[in-house]
Amino acid sequence: MSKFTSAMVDDYADKLLIGLSKEENDLVLKEFDIIDENMQKIANMEGIESVEAMTHALDDFTYDLREDIAKDSIAIEDLLKNCDNYEDREISVPKVIE
Amino acid sequence: MTELSIEKLHELLINGEVSSDELVKEAIEKSKKLQKKCNPFVTIIEDAEGKKVTDNLLSGIPYGIKDNYSTKGILSTGSSNTLKDYVPFFDATAVVNLKKAGVVAVNKTALDEFGMGGTGTTAHTGIIKNPWDINRMCAGSSSGSACAVASGVYPFALGSDTGDSIRKPAAFCGIVGYKPTYGMISRYGLFPFASSLDHCGVLTRSVKDAAIVVDAMKGKDDKDLTTWDSSNINLYDSIDGKVQGKKLFYIKEIVDLDNYPNASDELKKHLSIFNDSIENLRKLGVVINEISIDKNLLNVIPSVYVCISCAEATSNLSNLTGIIFGPRGKGKTYIDMMKDYRTNGFSPLIKRRLVIGSYILQKENQERYFVNAGRVRRLIVDKMKELFKEYDGLILPVSTGIAPYLDGSKDELSKDDTAILEEHLQIGNFGGFPSITIPNGFIDNMPVGINVTGNCFDDANVLNIAYALESTMNYKGMIAGGNNEI
Repeated sequence: MSKFTSAMVDDYADKLLIGLSKEENDLVLKEFDIIDENMQKIANMEGIESVEAMTHALDDFTYDLREDIAKDSIAIEDLLKNCDNYEDREISVPKVIE
Repeated sequence: MTELSIEKLHELLINGEVSSDELVKEAIEKSKKLQKKCNPFVTIIEDAEGKKVTDNLLSGIPYGIKDNYSTKGILSTGSSNTLKDYVPFFDATAVVNLKKAGVVAVNKTALDEFGMGGTGTTAHTGIIKNPWDINRMCAGSSSGSACAVASGVYPFALGSDTGDSIRKPAAFCGIVGYKPTYGMISRYGLFPFASSLDHCGVLTRSVKDAAIVVDAMKGKDDKDLTTWDSSNINLYDSIDGKVQGKKLFYIKEIVDLDNYPNASDELKKHLSIFNDSIENLRKLGVVINEISIDKNLLNVIPSVYVCISCAEATSNLSNLTGIIFGPRGKGKTYIDMMKDYRTNGFSPLIKRRLVIGSYILQKENQERYFVNAGRVRRLIVDKMKELFKEYDGLILPVSTGIAPYLDGSKDELSKDDTAILEEHLQIGNFGGFPSITIPNGFIDNMPVGINVTGNCFDDANVLNIAYALESTMNYKGMIAGGNNEI
């Protein structure tokens, strides 16, 4: 029997501010089971806990810091072109504090 | 004429036998016709104009841009309803570099939403059909780019590749798909999906064309700190077809028919075509050995990919709220508004992947899923790097066969014993390895592909091997259904 439930799936979705239909919820449940089965195989691998996790495609990045020189910034009028709701040069946001 | 190679088009442009304006006009007309047949575009740039022809091989030549690349003043949606009206105020660095070379963008190509799919069925503009058979998929996520290049709209289009999103559509559409070493091309301006796996790249109809385009796209970029200096690498000039003494390996657990007790006739034929290609390379003096790798390690690759990519995507797409850009959702509170925007804006596939990412990133689950996935990624990459000390590359067939039918297509994890054959290209993203797919045959009049993957920074060697293999076959420069199909 699966250790995952529809309520758990809805909870994880809600944390992302996403709502799921019943069909979408069912599909996630099915994939959870396959992933969990495979991750159990990984957890069972001998010595896996001592392997350093790889977090990026290359291990040997060389980061060159840019000079701290101010450059021209993008015009606010251009930035506002993709915003549905603004007044003058400011984005109008929904009320956050009741 | 847009069905010709970049070299040939350049020759015609230089000799005055065709103008850039004429090529651009032809590409736009073909785009319109192909849109009716296969639906590969989000935007056709009808007012695009030809450019001055210079010594640069790419000058004056039309091309397509996957719609997850930011293009200044041109709609860039990521094929998502959440960004259906988004017009960037800047160009992606790769697009800037190509502009400097003198190319002309004529369309933005559709993709699986934000690159998170492998079927070409989740774009907000609808399903993208395979030009070889419109009842079949192109694969994804660079579906529109693959469809357009295979149809001869232009010689190349941009793609992006997080798991196999350039290299599998290339196989299903009978063209070349190349993703170079991670960081060779700047990702600045590419909509992020899973930043540690995302690569920019190109779809073309020949290996040389791929080399020409990536030479123009690549370069260190102050805006992407993961880029590196590749100024000493000239891919196009490095191609000479000399492969005598090169060494390749393939993985027994992936290509040995004995691994698939219920193998279909299609799979048998696909593996037979692969073996023919191996023999062709051996005749050129390439040494090719069979290598065995722990099947338990190989079998978990798809789940490792899902864990890493979903977790990173969940983080990357958290800025899509509909507040500062995107169409605003409805609701009384800002939470309601964001939830409405995200619930109705994302397709079901994206929502599934984000929810999986949410689960993986919960504090109590991180060690078991996200960290362990990273550990397996390390084991796989270390194994490949160990082999690359002895070998110039890994050669494998792409997918289990030809493009599946669209009807009944799924994009979900599978328990099938063929899952690793379907998903092994993800290895190239785990390690940032240069990887190229080229066509190597047909089954039931549909193309199939073969892939060569090599060690990081060894792109020139990988392309040269692919070029030599391409030269043993007659599939270079193919147009789906012949030149008059669209």
